[in-house]
Amino acid sequence: MKTANQPLLSLKGITKHFGSLTAVNGVDLDVCPGEIVVIIGPSGSGKSTLLRSINFLEEIEEGTIVFEGEEIGYVTNKHGRRHLDAPHKICALRSEIGMVFQHFNLFPHMTVLGNVMEGPLTVQKKSLEEARHIALDMLAKVGLSDKRDVYPATLSGGQKQRVAIARALAMRPKLMLFDEPTSALDPELIGEVFDTIRDLGKEGMTMIIVTHQMGFAKEMADRVIFMEKGSFVAQGTPEDFFANQMEHERIKSFLNRIL
Amino acid sequence: MKFFTGRVVTKAILLFSCLLLLLASVCFATDYDQLFTDANDAMAQGDLPAAITLLKKVEFEKGDESGAFVRSRMQIARLQFALKDMEKASSAAKEVLAVYPDNSEALNFLASVKQEQTPRYQVFVQDCLRFLPQLLKGAVMTITLVVCIILISPVGGLLIALGRISTFKPVSSICWFFIWLFRGTPLLLQLFFIYYGLPSMGITFKPFTAAILGLGLNYSAYLGEIIRGGIQSIEHGQMEAAKAIGMSYWQAMRRVIIPQTYKRLMPPIGNEFIALIKDTALVSTIAMVELMRSADQMFNAYFNVTALILAALIYLLFTTIFTFVFEKIEVRAGIYENR
Repeated sequence: MKTANQPLLSLKGITKHFGSLTAVNGVDLDVCPGEIVVIIGPSGSGKSTLLRSINFLEEIEEGTIVFEGEEIGYVTNKHGRRHLDAPHKICALRSEIGMVFQHFNLFPHMTVLGNVMEGPLTVQKKSLEEARHIALDMLAKVGLSDKRDVYPATLSGGQKQRVAIARALAMRPKLMLFDEPTSALDPELIGEVFDTIRDLGKEGMTMIIVTHQMGFAKEMADRVIFMEKGSFVAQGTPEDFFANQMEHERIKSFLNRIL
Repeated sequence: MKFFTGRVVTKAILLFSCLLLLLASVCFATDYDQLFTDANDAMAQGDLPAAITLLKKVEFEKGDESGAFVRSRMQIARLQFALKDMEKASSAAKEVLAVYPDNSEALNFLASVKQEQTPRYQVFVQDCLRFLPQLLKGAVMTITLVVCIILISPVGGLLIALGRISTFKPVSSICWFFIWLFRGTPLLLQLFFIYYGLPSMGITFKPFTAAILGLGLNYSAYLGEIIRGGIQSIEHGQMEAAKAIGMSYWQAMRRVIIPQTYKRLMPPIGNEFIALIKDTALVSTIAMVELMRSADQMFNAYFNVTALILAALIYLLFTTIFTFVFEKIEVRAGIYENR
């Protein structure tokens, strides 16, 4: 059942352990359509794990993921044990949620155009012509039309990340997840990637972004969340967050360290 | 009674005449025997010219019943041959031929003198021309085997590699066992088992089938481990990125992971295939006539080392071509890395 004010994504009690370590500890999060959520926090606080759980790259032990009003991804078998849904269903879900990685993970053996075409071509089984058309659109969107025939190895970090964004967008996702998209970049290349993300935001794309760039969080986010030791410690609008939550001792020391 | 006496007399006469003949021949040949003994002594002391002078004293006598003349002249011929005097060697042999025009020993000797006088390289070329047709036939079989295995083993290897990294325990265990078995026992033993061993269990193969089976299984096991290493060397992020755009495991393998292993796999696989060219020699033991077997046959028939040298050259030609081809393929496979 889809209603107007219904969140696009709703997480409830997400919990994930790595051995004895609790990476994510009962996190709840609602993301409305068009909302940009920025998650910050020290390394090892579970930000990436949470993001990867949404895309089923990590299998969570507890909690539910509701996407467009439907609980997704996990089924309970007749012995009462919970496990990931059938692979083809997981694949279908993933194709609706785009993800961008810290290390780009472009396919080095394909040209830039090939990278962006791959999803529509292989996953959505679109024709070569159609896939090419979509890919060229997406490359134009990230401003890399002129690089379409080169291999990723010749691109700068910033260009690689923009291609990775185009590759994710080519699947026409309803939600985009960014896992530290600028952490592997030289400082002078960060701007071009954020410009691309900013443009996406203006088009109304729903996004969850894990980043250490506070400037970007201040400027872009509808909501900033501070995560530590697997839990949300504080959240609010950027104005509220950076004005008021600064009093929070942990946040203050974290921000002082990275700013 | 009369009959009995007659036989005894006949026997006695026969025996007597034999004895006489023996005595006569011994008396007759005594000089020559002494000559031969003296000549042998001279040879033992290394004085070949003295031996030749002694042997020359043997003269032709009607019929040469004792064979002393032929014996002496052939001995002279061999000694002259050893002294590198081909002229005198030939004339000694020709003395024999003058009396016995079809004495095979003299004829063979003259032939080998002739061969000795022809230049070395010419002999080599003649041998090559003599052995090449047979060796090339064998080489065609070697190449046939190599091509078959090059077509079969990467497919087998890929299946084993995918099986090995499967999370489905029974499949990965079977593949582990397969590799353990075929990598852990000699290829020669595997070939013997397939060709000579399996018939006792009622399974019989033709030599070619057995060779393809043995080499195919063995090389699939080796390539399986190489390909598994290649797949696992591709960084994990590639699989995640493929999954993140909605690819299934197999789509990701086929489109993203496996194509990236090509360049990394070329050097070790090229290595394996060069080893394969040489390993095909092992199937000569299971009644396959390939290059090694052909060379062995030629070598045994003529006791001529040229057959082995030629086979070595053909093997080297094959391995060299392979080395170059694989270098080219390696560059092509990695074209995306440096452009």
